[in-house]
Amino acid sequence: MAQRLMRLIGTMFGALLVSVLPLTAAAPAALFTPGEELQVERAATGRPGGRLVVALRAEPRTLNPLLVADAPSREVVGRMTGDLIHINRLSQAIEPALASAWTRSKDGREYTLTLRKGLRFSDGHPFDADDVVFTFQALLDARVASPQRDLLIVGGKPIDVKKVDEYHVRVSLAGPYAAAERLFDSVAILPRHLLERAFMEGTLQEAWTTQVAAGAIAGLGPYRLKEYVAGQRLVLERNPYYWKVDANTRRLPYIDELVFLFTGNEDAQVIRFQSGESDVLGRVGADNFNLLMKDQTSRRFQLADLGPSLEYNFLFFNLNDLSGKNLPQVAARQRWFTDVHFRRAVSLAIDRDAIVRLVFKGRGVPLWGNVTPGNRLWQNTSLPRPARSVADARAVLKTAGYSWRSDGALVDRQGQKVEFTIATSATSAQRTEMATLIQADLKELGMDVRVVPLEFRALLDRILDTFDYDASVQGFGGGDADPNGEMNVWLSRGTNHYWRLGQKQPATPWEAEIDRLMQQQLVTLDIPERKRLYDRVQMIIAENVPFIFLATPHVLVGARADLGNFQPSVLDHYTLWNVEQLYFKSQGRSNGR
Amino acid sequence: MRFVLSRLGYSALVLLSVSVLTFALLELSPGEFFDDLKVDGRVGSGTVEALREQAGLTDSAVTRYVKWMGSVARGEFGISLARRSPVGSLLWERTRNTLMLTAPAMLVCWMIALPLGLWMARHRGRLADRILSTGSSTMLALPDLLVALALLLLALRTGLFPAGGMHSAGIDSQRALDTLRDVAIHAFLPFCALVIVLLPPVLRHVRASAIEAIDAPAVRAARGHGIRGWRLTLRYILPLSANPLISLAGLSCAALVSASLMIEVVMSWPGLGPLLVESLLAKDVPVVLGASMLATIVLVGGNLLADLALFAIDPRVRT
Amino acid sequence: MKRAVTVVSVLVGLHLLILLAGFVAPYDPTTQVRTLPFAPPSRIHFVDAAGIFHLRPFVYASAPDGAGDYYVEDMSVRYPVRFFTRGARYSIVPGIESDVHVAGVDAPGRLTLAGTDGYGRDVFSRVLHGARVSVTAGLLATLCALFVGTVLGTLAGFTGGVVDRIVMRAADVFMAVPWLYLLFAVRAALPLHLDTRAAFLLLVAVLGVVGWARPSRLVRGIVLSAKERAYVRVAEGFGASPLYVLRRHVLPHTYGVVLTQAGLLVPQFILAEVTLSFLGLGIGEPEASLGSMLGTLQQYHVLASYWWMFAPAIALVAVAAGYHALTSLAHDRARLVAS
Repeated sequence: MAQRLMRLIGTMFGALLVSVLPLTAAAPAALFTPGEELQVERAATGRPGGRLVVALRAEPRTLNPLLVADAPSREVVGRMTGDLIHINRLSQAIEPALASAWTRSKDGREYTLTLRKGLRFSDGHPFDADDVVFTFQALLDARVASPQRDLLIVGGKPIDVKKVDEYHVRVSLAGPYAAAERLFDSVAILPRHLLERAFMEGTLQEAWTTQVAAGAIAGLGPYRLKEYVAGQRLVLERNPYYWKVDANTRRLPYIDELVFLFTGNEDAQVIRFQSGESDVLGRVGADNFNLLMKDQTSRRFQLADLGPSLEYNFLFFNLNDLSGKNLPQVAARQRWFTDVHFRRAVSLAIDRDAIVRLVFKGRGVPLWGNVTPGNRLWQNTSLPRPARSVADARAVLKTAGYSWRSDGALVDRQGQKVEFTIATSATSAQRTEMATLIQADLKELGMDVRVVPLEFRALLDRILDTFDYDASVQGFGGGDADPNGEMNVWLSRGTNHYWRLGQKQPATPWEAEIDRLMQQQLVTLDIPERKRLYDRVQMIIAENVPFIFLATPHVLVGARADLGNFQPSVLDHYTLWNVEQLYFKSQGRSNGR
Repeated sequence: MRFVLSRLGYSALVLLSVSVLTFALLELSPGEFFDDLKVDGRVGSGTVEALREQAGLTDSAVTRYVKWMGSVARGEFGISLARRSPVGSLLWERTRNTLMLTAPAMLVCWMIALPLGLWMARHRGRLADRILSTGSSTMLALPDLLVALALLLLALRTGLFPAGGMHSAGIDSQRALDTLRDVAIHAFLPFCALVIVLLPPVLRHVRASAIEAIDAPAVRAARGHGIRGWRLTLRYILPLSANPLISLAGLSCAALVSASLMIEVVMSWPGLGPLLVESLLAKDVPVVLGASMLATIVLVGGNLLADLALFAIDPRVRT
Repeated sequence: MKRAVTVVSVLVGLHLLILLAGFVAPYDPTTQVRTLPFAPPSRIHFVDAAGIFHLRPFVYASAPDGAGDYYVEDMSVRYPVRFFTRGARYSIVPGIESDVHVAGVDAPGRLTLAGTDGYGRDVFSRVLHGARVSVTAGLLATLCALFVGTVLGTLAGFTGGVVDRIVMRAADVFMAVPWLYLLFAVRAALPLHLDTRAAFLLLVAVLGVVGWARPSRLVRGIVLSAKERAYVRVAEGFGASPLYVLRRHVLPHTYGVVLTQAGLLVPQFILAEVTLSFLGLGIGEPEASLGSMLGTLQQYHVLASYWWMFAPAIALVAVAAGYHALTSLAHDRARLVAS
């Protein structure tokens, strides 16, 4: 089964496995070692040379793949490292990478991975199973405390990686796990010869800071470190040992040098792109995108609106258990928040189209569930999508015992006026804008709502620790399309189960039901069955509205018109996921003003 | 000599109090560096705890402060939580770049403000003075971020200047002359923004002090003796207004590390600005603390220099 | 003297405009018109599409064209400008409420003198209402800073010795500490339910109090020099009590400096709010303030696309220039009195 799936993927994405490449006359002067098991990218044929400049929103914090937790570091490290099995950013399906093939045991708890033979790290040192074993050893070491560690804990235990022979490793899981192959995506394989000493000495978390010397760092990615200028730029050069070739057996990547510029914010990033000083623009907001559209032809950009992203924005109420806290006012307001009719009425009164139009300038879609239309595989398309209706919302409130005073203010059964605050992060302009629109929407229901923008960490403190808030607008998602990425949100004991954190037992029957369904889909290997289970989860969420889903923005990116093979995706690493295939169409084109 | 020593002693005391106060305030404000990992669904709470322990955040506040002092003694000024490298070297690189921008801007500011302010004072109330005064008070009301953005927009529309950064992407740092030219071109816009922001207050102060001096008896007497023009300005008015101006120059020193922060962010100048804004929002305590100490050192140092200068030129202070 | 009259009357006019914001502004500053985001200012016409002249000025309704980035006027219906119309309710000071506005047009026409913002709210109305909040905040913070600064500065200068040294060292410390974090801490301690404006004013007041150092230094300098004057010495020699000397002979010298500082500080504190709102310490939506509106202007796409969003900057420049002119006036007068 797994083998068949593999072959299917192989033909689908033009990734053809060859054992020895013939050295034809057309092959460039790159060094091929006999026995080197390279991957052929069929789609790609391009022109070599040039320099690609990318403006990042912030400076990466680290170059150590084990410690990456911020987006700029992820972007940069991703270009310098390789993983065993990769999620294709366009098809959202898995494909072979450093592991050319793998088999799964019948119970789904054991995987045997076959590594490509004869590959080398970017410093020329050979790669084999010892590097893989070392990588997982370091990654799973509690002392290192890698932010990626928890992803590799399956069934309560860290996965176990053992060497079979020089080019085979066996991975054992404590329990069956659906889509286990996806675990390996973006797990950068580390060079044992460079890091083992630091690991033994317990100083691995201090290795490869941004001040690392170019000679002391190596990886299996298309590029390797050339120069790091603090606060300004990171220069990567072509990895001459990279393990992918194009259809003409020319070794990838095409572009010689990759320069990341550090800017302070999105505006600066956009300005650099607009002025022609950078070639690729990562995700931007619709405002800036529309601004660039005006220059599209005169400045020769290719701008792409890729449609709905995977992230979902939502409004939620504080349903936490406040018994241990001294928050009588919030507790009193929870009378309304815990009432599902109240939440449904709020959801009915929110003008999602206005959010899409005004916040996302039309480049977004309204949402009624946690899976966006960007996630074609997993979205439950049968969820109800009631249109906005203040009258319906009023009817729901009326049946739930609410009434209106002569001045239009909404009061509950006890005659208490309904008023609450929505806390947002001041640094996220879009979420504050959504809250401002919601505030005006709910005014029509007679609710007195205040929007309170707070500094991001002060807001988190309230949501995660003190529970001193009424409601908030937040956003999740954007990582992987698979439901497993959502476990922490929907499991009642999950750390992102925002509306009611720290549950030892599920507080409501429907939360218990979601727990059961999510656990079940986690161990179900059959995809249609998983989809059925996850559809049910989405339906339960929509019925009980713990989150009131608002909208998702489109993924908006851009590049110079001259850049070939530019195929941005709605998944993370939006623009540079296929950096090895990018090339400049015109000769001698490189950005180096 | 005793004057210098006692001033130095006070300065050390000020530095110590600033560090304690800053540390205490950082403690009081909500949130912590690792909070954004808590929101990341991929990271478990155990890992966050382990990272906090690794960074020493589980210690008591007093222990952490003492540890930080020890780190100051080693010249590290703490270890950045985000970058896991010593704050001292992080700040040093950035400070150099910031000074490269602010020092010339400050110099030019004074070079414009001194003659212009004196001239305005002497022609007080005339049309030119009125226009310049109104202009400078208008400029005082403009946020620096807005000035920087407007200049960037200009750069974009005209295409004459690079839209941010300090170097071109392809510059070869081995060739010193080319690099220098490249930096100069990149520095021009932020430099202009900085001058626009710094000039008005200095100009106003120079003008006010000069007016004060013009009305002084000595100047009136000199004028009575038929001394006019630039000779009057240079020999009589300027020395008389030197006292407040030197104090102001001392305070200006503080602006050397603080005035350009927001401009740097908008124009991607790799100075203290982008680092500080990022650290402030991420609550990277050691970096914020280190930067505050740096600002204090410059402020206190500037005041010290001003005091010494006054001590040297103004005999009245020496009592 | 003529200049003084001009300056004072302009300032009074400005403040009257701000105080009567509700009356002058045609609309409520928080009302959203979601069909008209970022609409340019309405054009005031006298001649209609048919070329006929009307004595009473009028506007046309405008609607977004296609993609929505520009607006076209619908010439079919004229909306004449009416004076003293009835509209949204407002209060000038607590207790005095009304719904009469200086000017307006009949719905669905909109009289947007300075265009609309991203929610279709009237920018002109927001600037007036926002200026009210901002000027109050600026004055409040200035008052706090100057009060504490004058008290401590006088104390230091007049007493001298140890007290002087302590106060001046403390001033050094206060000038160097990053007070932003104090504001974060204060904000965290405040209940979320506190009225948006009250919370904001409180934070600004804190900002004012910690800003005492600079004025106190200046005041101390003046007090020191005043203390040494011959007539003060003479008064002391005649056995005048220190308090009397302070009140009669020393403090009057500080008025000039204090006024100058006031003129500089008010606009400075208004500007400080730009940073505050960026960090979540400014006034919350949907309330307006000049600082938060300037924050919007600092978004690149707004700055580059919608020129009318500069309105808060113009208002701020006007207020600041007024205060600066007032201080130079005060300065001149102080010198006249002194000589």
